[in-house]
Parts: sequence; C-alpha cells; structure tokens
Amino acid sequence: MTAMIQLSNVSKWYGDFQVLTDCTTQVAKGEVVVVCGPSGSGKSTLIKCVNALEPFQKGTILVDGVSVGDPKTDLPKLRSRVGMVFQHFELFPHLSITDNLTIAQMKVLGRSREEANDKGLKYLDRVGLKAHAAKFPGQLSGGQQQRVAIARALAMDPIAMLFDEPTSALDPEMINEVLDVMTGLAHEGMTMMCVTHEMGFARRVADRVIFMDRGHIVEDCAKEEFFGAPRGERAQQFLSKILQH
Amino acid sequence: MNYHWDWGVFFKSTGIGHEIYLDWFITGLGWTVAVAMVAWVIALILGSVLGVMRTLPNKTLSGVAGGYVALFRNVPLLVQLFLWYFLVPDFLPESLQVWFKQDLKPATSAYISVVVCLGLFTAARVCEQVRTGIEALPKGQSNAAYAMGFTLPQVYRHVLLPQAFRIIIPPMTSEFLNVFKNSSVASLIGLMELLAQTKQTAEFSANLFEAFTLATVIYFVLNMSLMKLMGWVENRVRVPGLIGSTGK
Ligand SMILES: Nc1ncnc2c1ncn2[C@@H]1O[C@H](COP(=O)(O)OP(=O)(O)OP(=O)(O)O)[C@@H](O)[C@H]1O
Ligand SMILES: [Mg+2]
Repeated sequence: MTAMIQLSNVSKWYGDFQVLTDCTTQVAKGEVVVVCGPSGSGKSTLIKCVNALEPFQKGTILVDGVSVGDPKTDLPKLRSRVGMVFQHFELFPHLSITDNLTIAQMKVLGRSREEANDKGLKYLDRVGLKAHAAKFPGQLSGGQQQRVAIARALAMDPIAMLFDEPTSALDPEMINEVLDVMTGLAHEGMTMMCVTHEMGFARRVADRVIFMDRGHIVEDCAKEEFFGAPRGERAQQFLSKILQH
Repeated sequence: MNYHWDWGVFFKSTGIGHEIYLDWFITGLGWTVAVAMVAWVIALILGSVLGVMRTLPNKTLSGVAGGYVALFRNVPLLVQLFLWYFLVPDFLPESLQVWFKQDLKPATSAYISVVVCLGLFTAARVCEQVRTGIEALPKGQSNAAYAMGFTLPQVYRHVLLPQAFRIIIPPMTSEFLNVFKNSSVASLIGLMELLAQTKQTAEFSANLFEAFTLATVIYFVLNMSLMKLMGWVENRVRVPGLIGSTGK
C-alpha cells in the first residue's frame, strides 16, 4: 500500500506552547482513518497541517508524495487536490448553492462554467439536494449545508478528504444524513481522514483509529484492535465517557 | 424680533451680471456635489486598499496602513485642508508650483486641494470600516477558501470582500453622508460651494434667515436622497437567508 498522506515526526508550537509532539502516522490510498481524542488534544491542528492551513515547525508531511512543508511547494495547487469539510460547514453565504459548488472549479481549476455546473450538480444530486441548487446557504438546514459542503469538496475531484468534526455542530436528527454520505464515500474507496466523535461511524466505516492526547498520537491501530481493548488508560477513559452517551 | 421675511429674495437679481440669488445656490450645490463625489471615489478606492492591507498577514503592509489611519484620523480636518492648500504646494517641483498657483483658476486649485484633502481624510475612515467588516467574518470562511485552493487575492476577491462590504453598508452610508457635510470646509479656502454661496447671499441680500433656511433644506434633501440611494443599494445586494436580511 502506498501512503496518500504521510506524517513523520510532526511537531508544532504556538509560541512556547507545544500543540503537536512528534506525530507520525499515514493514511493509505483508499483508507479511512478516524482521529479522536479529548477537546484541545490537537486533532484539528493535526488535520489542518495536512493541507497547510496551519504551518508546523518540525517533521515532514507528504501528500501524494508532495512535501507540504517545502517552501517551494505550490500550496494552492496542493490544497485544491485535498478536500476539506469543516465543523461549521463554511459555505459562502453570499453565493447560491450552485455558485458555491462551481466557484473553485472555475477559479482554481480553470474549468468552464458548463463543465463546473455539470460536475457540481452531479454531486449535489448525489447528496440528495439537487432541488436546492438555486437557494442560498442560509436557506438550508445544518445537515443540508454540510452535505452541500461535501459536494463542493468532491466537485474538485480530490485525491483525499479531510473532515474536522463534520457532525458536531448538527442537531441529532441531522447527523445521520451526513454520516450516510460519508459512509457512501468510504465505500467508494475515497481516502479519508476524519476527526469525529461518532464512534458508531468509526466502528462501521473506519479502517484505523488514531487517538490523540495533549498533542501526542497515543493510539494508532486497526479499528478492531482499538475497540477491542485500547491499550492506554487515557484512551479507555475517553472511550467509556464517549460511549456512555 | 423685527425681522422682515422675504422668501422672494431668491429670485431677485444679485446685482452681478444677470444672476439671481437662486443661481448662486445652484452653482454652490454643483461644487458641493463635485467635491463630495470625487472625494468619495478616492476614499472608497484608497480606503478599501488600506482596509485590506490592515488585515494582511504581512506586518509591513498592515503597519503602513495602520500608520496612515493614525495620521489622518488624529489631525483635524481643517488643519489638513490648510496644509494641503497652503503648505503642500510649496513642496511641489518648480513647474508644478507655477501651474498650481498661477496657471490654475483660484477655484480650480482650491477644488483640487479640498478633493485630495477630503478624499485622503475619508479614506482613513473607510479603511477602518473595511477592516472591521473583514475581521467580523468567521476565520473558517478564509480557511475554507484556502482549503479549496484559492490564492490570497482570490480569497479576498471572492469570499471576504463581497461579505465584508455587505456588512458595512450602514456605517459606510454615514461616511458617505459625512463627505457631503464635510465638503463645507471648502468655503474656508474660498471655494464657492453651497455654504459659501449661502454666506455670500446672506451678506449681499441681508436676508440671512432665508438664505440659511434654504441651505438647510438643500443639505437635508440631499442627505435624505443619499440615504435612500444607499438603502436601495443595500436591498439590491441582500442575500436571501442571511442574518440581518429580512423577507424572501
Ligand atoms: N491559534 C492558536 N493559538 C494558540 N493556541 C492555539 C491556537 N489554536 C489552537 N490552540 C491550542 O492548541 C490546542 C489544540 O487545539 P485544537 O483545536 O487542535 O484541538 P482539538 O483537538 O481540535 O479540540 P476540539 O475537540 O475542541 O476541537 C488547544 O489547547 C488550543 O487551545
Ligand atoms: Mg477541533
């Protein structure tokens, strides 16, 4: 298996505060990796380092063989190949759903309007929202917005997808509609790195689970192993807390 | 009070050429609009550039814009006008000095001074509005834009500015109105805009109250129209479903 995303000894500081310490892991092509851990443990920071939304000071990250930390790397190009979905959707509220789906295809990838429209609508249909193409983000529910956000990322034909707590801002009844879309993606072989506390999703869909604590990757193992008997005490505590809900 | 009101005064001859007093007001209004509109265009363009600069990660650029704002906001407008009119021309190259002080009509050189002065002064205020608008947007918006592969200019062009400008329409409306009100400083360097024409009418005709009443009405109607115009603009760019927009 070739690693699509490879992190080697990544460390990051905010001033004197070390957020990430020596993080090493990889996501193989077609693999689904779930990242979990207590609040403030550095999950978002780690995932944002992968597409260079956050700089890091030590170590290397390779995405499809391209070094993220290399000053010579064309970051916009690298980012355009990696889809990202955020906790708060981050659709552009001043643009219609169609424009949200097409703007980066046209401005970044240089696709024609027709091509971008076709592609955007295809993915919008896929997440079940074709009827809403002319609406604006503010007119959709949270779950619908998040599905549009996923479609928007997919329309760029990404080689991998990053998710940062995509369901944690949603009302419970909307969580599943988003998880269903993500599950479908995983089954199609998309390479995915998902920060999430949805352990049901992790059990069903993930290949591997990474557990982070205070900036360290403390567990990194196959899902069966993780849910069977996580080795560390912190991971056990975390799991028992989260599974109580 | 033994004042003799005479509203017919505006149609009386000024004694200069064939002009009636109303002509003076019309000329004055023309200058006021000409000063304010050109100053506003300068302020809008320069202020937007400065406002963007203030929010950039580059410390030098944001520092320069910050310095500009500090300078132009903390010196009284009138002092700035006198500097632009009396002092700055002396620092121009010889040929430009001759052109500015001798070749130009006095009204033209006064006009240039006041437009530059008011444009640069208002740019500092526009800058702060633009900066506030950009900073009011959630950090996630620029993150999402960068994550899709946008470059920094594209992030501003397609994501940040269209939202920021919508947010700041109400405060920008007051800045727009302020340019019109502030344009009256031009009367102090001899530009015959509305206030200057009003004073002149009051002195020539001795109908002081009528003159200032008319000026008040003109300023009021002018500002109300501008507010209506900006209200229309705000409506035009309103986004369905966005906070702060009603209806639809
Ligand atoms: N810009 C910043 N400056 C300084 N410290 C920061 C900054 N961003 C995050 N941190 C700190 O870094 C640590 C890790 O933050 P991060 O957002 O990655 O955590 P997280 O695991 O995603 O938490 P959550 O589950 O709450 O989203 C936290 O202690 C946070 O306070
Ligand atoms: Mg987080």
